[in-house]
Amino acid sequence: MKGTHLGEFQEIILLTILVLDDDAYGVTIKREINQRVKRSISRGALHTALTRLEEKGFITSEQAEGSPERGGRPKRYYTVSNRGIEAIQEAKALRDQLWSQIPKLRLQHPYAG
Amino acid sequence: MKDKIQTPPTFYTRLFRWFCKEDIYDELQGDLDEEFLFNTQKLGHKKARRLYQREVIKMVRPSIIKSLNTQQLPNNHTAMFKNYTLVALRNLGRNKLFSSINIIGLAISMVVGLIAIAFITEMNSYDDFHEHGSRIYRVVNTRTPLNETSDEYATTSVLTGRRLVNDFAGFEAVAPIYRGLSGDMTQGEVTITQRGIYTSNDFFKVFSFPLISGNPATALSDPYSVVLTEETAMKLYGKTDVVGEVIEYSNGDQLKVTGVAKNPPFHSHIQFDAIGSLETLITKNSTTVTSWGNMWSSYVYVLLPEGAKPENYQASLDQLAAEENAKVNHFQVAMGFEYLSDIVPGNGKYNQMYTIMPRKNVESIAILALIVVLSACFNYTNLSIARSVKRGKEVGVRKVVGARKTHLFSQFIVEAIFVAILALVIAILLFQVVRPGFLTLNPYMDRTTRLELTPVMYLYFFGFSLTIGFLAGCVPAMLMSKLKPVSILKGISTIKSSRRLDMRKVLIGLQFTLSMGFAVLVTLASKQYKFALSYDLGFDTENVLNVNVQGNDTELLKAAFLKVPEIKGVSTASMVPSTGSTNSDYARYKDPMDSTTAYTIDIDTEYLSNMGHELLVGENFRKGETKDKIIINELMAERLKIGSPAEALGQPLYYYDQSWTIIGVVRNFHHGTVNNKVEPFAFTSGRQNHSNLNLKLVSGDITSTMSKLEAAWKEVDPLHDFSATFYDDQIERTYSDISASVKTFGMLAGIAICISILGLLGMAVYTTESRLKELTIRKVLGATVSNLVLLLSKGFMPLFIISAAIAIPAAYLMFQRTIVKYAVYKINVGIWELSGGALLVIGIAFLTIGSQAAKAAKMNPAKNLRDQ
Repeated sequence: MKGTHLGEFQEIILLTILVLDDDAYGVTIKREINQRVKRSISRGALHTALTRLEEKGFITSEQAEGSPERGGRPKRYYTVSNRGIEAIQEAKALRDQLWSQIPKLRLQHPYAG
Repeated sequence: MKDKIQTPPTFYTRLFRWFCKEDIYDELQGDLDEEFLFNTQKLGHKKARRLYQREVIKMVRPSIIKSLNTQQLPNNHTAMFKNYTLVALRNLGRNKLFSSINIIGLAISMVVGLIAIAFITEMNSYDDFHEHGSRIYRVVNTRTPLNETSDEYATTSVLTGRRLVNDFAGFEAVAPIYRGLSGDMTQGEVTITQRGIYTSNDFFKVFSFPLISGNPATALSDPYSVVLTEETAMKLYGKTDVVGEVIEYSNGDQLKVTGVAKNPPFHSHIQFDAIGSLETLITKNSTTVTSWGNMWSSYVYVLLPEGAKPENYQASLDQLAAEENAKVNHFQVAMGFEYLSDIVPGNGKYNQMYTIMPRKNVESIAILALIVVLSACFNYTNLSIARSVKRGKEVGVRKVVGARKTHLFSQFIVEAIFVAILALVIAILLFQVVRPGFLTLNPYMDRTTRLELTPVMYLYFFGFSLTIGFLAGCVPAMLMSKLKPVSILKGISTIKSSRRLDMRKVLIGLQFTLSMGFAVLVTLASKQYKFALSYDLGFDTENVLNVNVQGNDTELLKAAFLKVPEIKGVSTASMVPSTGSTNSDYARYKDPMDSTTAYTIDIDTEYLSNMGHELLVGENFRKGETKDKIIINELMAERLKIGSPAEALGQPLYYYDQSWTIIGVVRNFHHGTVNNKVEPFAFTSGRQNHSNLNLKLVSGDITSTMSKLEAAWKEVDPLHDFSATFYDDQIERTYSDISASVKTFGMLAGIAICISILGLLGMAVYTTESRLKELTIRKVLGATVSNLVLLLSKGFMPLFIISAAIAIPAAYLMFQRTIVKYAVYKINVGIWELSGGALLVIGIAFLTIGSQAAKAAKMNPAKNLRDQ
């Protein structure tokens, strides 16, 4: 399991990178997560997660020239690899399957019983 | 925003730079910057800064911070270490003067440190051989007599011990100890003098004093049984297999030997030659031994069960004390527990079982050692900083080649530790030399201390020298490793900063303050000591030999001694005045309400003339007619309002529960030490046994006289050894605390002066070396040698004046507070006593500087200027 398992936070990051398409680097990923998921994460936490994802081979990264607003410092762009896409699809399939198994009644009356 | 550039908090940026991994730093810092800018525009500067700080703090996680060993280059540790040692050695060799100053200075001060370590370790090792040591407590008393202040005693009543056994539950064992099985023990022809204790069987349960024969559970059950130590058994019987034998004790008791114990270790606060059963005392004299008030020579030790806390037993003690206090009315006793390992070093309780090193002695030695050692560390620091200019190039090259700060730091620390270890070797040799002197420093020492070097001690010493090396090398290493290669290689003169010079001056100033302070203190203390010894007591102590009578018949002894031709006179007395002990009672004349404390000794008819007391009026005691007769001093007549000496003759006096007739008045004299005033004094005769015999000798060959006296003694008492001391020596011993201070401060002053002069020498050499060109040019232009010497010494003058201004008052205050705290008669402290020591130190200092300056000034100018 270890190595292929996809944590919830990591899944969100993968999806966010896909959403951002070719503008996915530290600042944008963080901002996107803050806005869409309404979750305040630190750059440090993000770094840890990105490193982990890269180790697992779910994302690849590439250094690029910096812009003036960051003092000319380089940025690192992230893209989701094929294995990464497989992994989120697998995760989605697993959930869909589980969703389909739930009896309808429960879903219509979440507080019924 | 706008024209002002908004920057993130500098400290946090630096912090982040410091802990972040190098390879990801740029990207992360870029992200932080970009977000900071974005936040500033959106949320304002303040909020953005706060968010930035939070971000940096949250960066502290394993994936981001540097791991500890990435800082060091992996492969060449040992090689570099070898190189550091080599360079250190070369540097030591190159600057022989500096190296020897450093090493010798450190070694001298280390000796003090070593003594302190050995001494403190030894004191703390007391009583740690007991198996149940962590559970042993002593019951101690605080006694408050009616209308007086309370005192703390190490002793408690035997009654406490018995009641704790009988009436209170929960103690695993209770051992009451009664001091005083002291006296002669006889077996057949052999008689020995020994000091022992009385106790019960629980003694062996509480303490680990193993028996080599006999049963510890029953050995002390019966009255009149005794356990001997191996040593005592060997002395009495020449063997240790002696259970069942019977010994005669000097009070007539027949004691049956029921066991033989190992000798108590030296580092035990309980010492004994024999152990008698407490039952012996109780069967003989049960009421006084076990009364609540008799708490002067008995101790109670308890062994608490595993895991028990002494606080939980305090209630038992309180209850016991309350019950017993209710039965008496002239005093109250409160009891408490004292932990076994807190007994030595002692905290000032009265009635300790054996000589115990007071805690304040241990503390003061530790503090003094610390001062001296730090002072020597300053030297190293100072000289190393002074030389940093010369080492600068080496640092520069090392940095350019790739050494990091940590490498340079460790290089200089290694160098300092190297010096410290060399110093340690010398210090250990010196330690062996100083040890005997330290042990005889004061009477406490040789009875309680041995200063033996055990392997553990060597380990401590080694650790100590590592610490010293680190402390001494820390500041120079920091300064050196900070040097920037560019400024070093550009030119050395640019790295001299004034701040460093100031620190050096402060360090030298501190050293000189210490040296002067100690020097002044020694002067004062030795003056006071001489003053106390040569003090005119009002009677004659010269050539008087005091002989301990040891229970013999004084008339027989007198007759025997008078046969020796070198004896001018013999007299006897109940004790020796002016050596610390006194004897007193209230005396009154006619008015029963008007009394005064009068001191007394009991003498024979020859005493007054033998000791040179001057009888003003009246007559001496006459043999056989001494009953009710008393001779007083002038002051007593005055205090009791009897009138002039002549008027006092024939007057009655009430003293020691009887009335007396005054038959003579002597001139006032000192019966006490310099700590006592002249007091009313009275001589009686025939009231008490005389324990001391005064022999007035003709001056001459002391050794032959002594052997004759010893022979005379043996005629009367073949059993005991002749024990005699010159009166003057006894007085000297009375002031041994002052002489110990003189010796201690003398030694410390010597060491402090040595160290500071060494340091100053180093500084002087350095100053002249670095100003050599200037001096030479001055000389060429016409300056004389004395001009140059003055020029170099001038800078040190204010330093010395400030040091003296601090040291002299401090030393004077310390003299008043400690050495003559209780003295009534003390020396007049004049300007010379105060400034003498300080002037001496300044004189030596100027000689040191002057010699260096003169050396430089006398050199041929052409030689110094040629190679530039």
